[in-house]
Amino acid sequence: MTNREMGTMFRILAALFVSAIIVIGCATPESPEFESVEQASMPDEADNDLEEVMVTGARVENYYGPSPSKSMPASKAFAAGGYKQESALSHIESDEELWVISTPDFEGEAQDGSQDRSPGTGAMLAHIPEQSIKDVPLPLRHTDVKARIDGYISTVNVRQQFHNPFDTKIEAVYLFPLPEKSAVSEFLMIIGDRKIRGILREKEEAEAIYREARAQGYQASLLVQHRPNIFEQKVANIEPGKSIDVDIQYFNTLAYNDGWYSFVFPTVVGPRYNPPGHSDPIIPVPHGSAGNAENNTSISYLRPDERSGHDLSISVEIDAGVAIEELKSTHEIVATRPTNASAKVKLATQSTIPNRDFVLNFRVAGKTMKSSLMTYRDPTANQGYFTMMLYPPSDHESLARRPMEMVFVLDCSGSMNGWPLDRSKDAVNAALDNLQEGDTFQIIRFSENSTQLGATPLPATQENIALGRQYLKSLNSTGGTQMIEGIKAALDFPHDPARLRFVSFMTDGYIGNELDIIGAVHERIGEARIFSFGVGSSVNRYLLERMAKEGRGAVAYLSPNDSATNIMNNFFARISHPALTDLEINWGGMAVSDVYPAKLPDMFVGRAVVVTGKFTGSPNGVAVAGTRGSGRLELIIPASETDESKAQVSRIWARLRIADLTDRQAWEADPYDELGNAIKTTALEYQLMSDYTSFVAVDASRQTEGDRGVTVHQPVPVPDGVRYDTTVE
Amino acid sequence: MKNLFVALVLLSLGTFGHSYADEANIRFTAVDVYLDSAEPVAAWQFELGDRAGVMKVVGVEQGDSPAYARAPYYDREAVRLGEADRIIVADYSLADVVELPSGRVRVATVHLMLSSDDDADFNLFLVTATTYDGVVTDARISFDVRTGSEQ
Repeated sequence: MTNREMGTMFRILAALFVSAIIVIGCATPESPEFESVEQASMPDEADNDLEEVMVTGARVENYYGPSPSKSMPASKAFAAGGYKQESALSHIESDEELWVISTPDFEGEAQDGSQDRSPGTGAMLAHIPEQSIKDVPLPLRHTDVKARIDGYISTVNVRQQFHNPFDTKIEAVYLFPLPEKSAVSEFLMIIGDRKIRGILREKEEAEAIYREARAQGYQASLLVQHRPNIFEQKVANIEPGKSIDVDIQYFNTLAYNDGWYSFVFPTVVGPRYNPPGHSDPIIPVPHGSAGNAENNTSISYLRPDERSGHDLSISVEIDAGVAIEELKSTHEIVATRPTNASAKVKLATQSTIPNRDFVLNFRVAGKTMKSSLMTYRDPTANQGYFTMMLYPPSDHESLARRPMEMVFVLDCSGSMNGWPLDRSKDAVNAALDNLQEGDTFQIIRFSENSTQLGATPLPATQENIALGRQYLKSLNSTGGTQMIEGIKAALDFPHDPARLRFVSFMTDGYIGNELDIIGAVHERIGEARIFSFGVGSSVNRYLLERMAKEGRGAVAYLSPNDSATNIMNNFFARISHPALTDLEINWGGMAVSDVYPAKLPDMFVGRAVVVTGKFTGSPNGVAVAGTRGSGRLELIIPASETDESKAQVSRIWARLRIADLTDRQAWEADPYDELGNAIKTTALEYQLMSDYTSFVAVDASRQTEGDRGVTVHQPVPVPDGVRYDTTVE
Repeated sequence: MKNLFVALVLLSLGTFGHSYADEANIRFTAVDVYLDSAEPVAAWQFELGDRAGVMKVVGVEQGDSPAYARAPYYDREAVRLGEADRIIVADYSLADVVELPSGRVRVATVHLMLSSDDDADFNLFLVTATTYDGVVTDARISFDVRTGSEQ
């Protein structure tokens, strides 16, 4: 088929989609790419029609028009398109989703005067009307987060409160983020006072149980993992005016940097760019568009003129074990201090709009933290687990600085438009100030492709640094995020043995092919270290953390209120002075196995390293030795009492094992899916969510009346600072 | 063109993954489990099995006593990989003795999916029930079966 023929075919298909009429929006063999959604919904030749087109999600057996109170028979919609009803309906199963596109010939408006109140609907308008922000009735009303921190381990309960504001039954679908290292281990469906504990099963089985329960009218919920930091909640058969809550519990270890522990709760999934050909995309779509079809992983974004009633409350109890000297957060908080070592913190506004990560940092007493070893022994299996936090020496003044080869890689895609790119430039400018004679540097930009300052890294002369600043100034953000191009450009050139190569990515990480990127880093990393900056209010921390792990480096985060210059200066001072390299550990009386990370990273001043593993034997102290300057240094970590109440240590280990196996899938040939089976077995044994396991809960005691109702995909706001027009549409 | 559209429709209606659509008589049922004890019960554990091998556990719900307000815990091995046709359920309460339940009380509801034309043949037995001071008490266990359509 020639390009011309393909173009003609596309136009015919586009016209068909717009003027007519029926789109079956579910169960497509492969999820459409980001571009295809755009193209299908906005063909040039159909602009005039699009201004009035309404897209309505509905069920075959129970089609409703745009107003909950104004139903429209399915026959009317089909007749309008000129297709006979039976020709399409005869192929549709009762639990399939039908998308109907029709002109808005409704008899009236919704009760609030809007024309967009029906479940799963949205006005697909070519031009956004200039009007005030309108509230969109949606099922997810509130998310309540209650966290408890003991030392550096957090236990977090997340309650999502779903309510049906419509006059027909609905299925609510919500894509949401959790921290990338979270070990999700409990799942409850709550109906009134009743609490039904969900069962962890193989993913496909859990999905099949859920589909069956949904089809038969039982209230049910399903939690599926799409990425280690992206989850999907489905709640079926919520009756009109009724509520169903879902409780999720997870464990997590906190990051430690420069005396501060960080508790992070992400609130919204940023819009991902999916490179062509990627088989498992997460597709950003405008609220109400056809991209929300079942069997797609899509995330629906509220339009700039829309607002959801969904809000957020967070409370955190901290028992640090040592005195807490200072608390700070990205949000306005209220804190009380029952003791020196504890704190109770909550959001000042318990109805916060969830459009940026909540970060709570607390600084603990002491210039030098004592490294600690926490152990747990499973009494039934007589298997021990440990997690150890290693704190490096606190000063770097006496450490020699080694010549550096700095490679700055700036994400210049559309989602970085505005302050994120400006802040990235500020950070690179600050780093250029820190370069010294003998250093070299390179600046690379990428979006759809990559370009760079020089053919090879430039010596850090005044002239070259001035050139670098000019190059930075010229950079703009537009287009998609082909991060693989940036990685190739940054790592595919010969290593300079005279210098430490540091590659610093500046990105929000809004891509859908994370494993491809992690695999590319693994293949190319060589002697380089990756020290990246996550720039944005809701960055893809999973990607950045895994890149840092493969690159034996670390990540810093730049949010809207941070000083890029200060953070870069501090960061630069740290990475240019490794505190301890070539680490070796003597485990004493512990016989350890399955230790994560398998490759111990270098230690940098102010940055802790967490090591987790299994053991047998008796802990009697651990010695960590490494190179410091021209000498050797040894840290002694005393043995701790094995605590049988710290069962979460075993699940944190299991979560790390799953993460390691998942990463290896990116680069290891695995024809018999041994890695996948190992993930599944580990997840089931330790009762954890994974790519292969899901939680399902069904209330089998009561069957709701009628069919399963319509599916409502919960749209979310675009993250704070991200432009809707450059990332979603 | 019309044929192409119909083909697209047919393609889009493919089903994926595990499906029970081809299996016989999939249905859901709830088993209410009752404990009958003369003394207040502070901890209990029971095992529910199905000799016919058609049950699949899809949820575990708390009972009627406010002293056991949370959902009970289940033995992960018992439902692992979905192959087991039994489940072990247990809970305990730290409530004051006066708040602990005695007499006949529903302690849990086990939600099940039955995936066969055959009826389940339930087998329920009490592993243990103890008083607040850890003494095993002489309790009886029984169950009722409910189906959603009976509501």
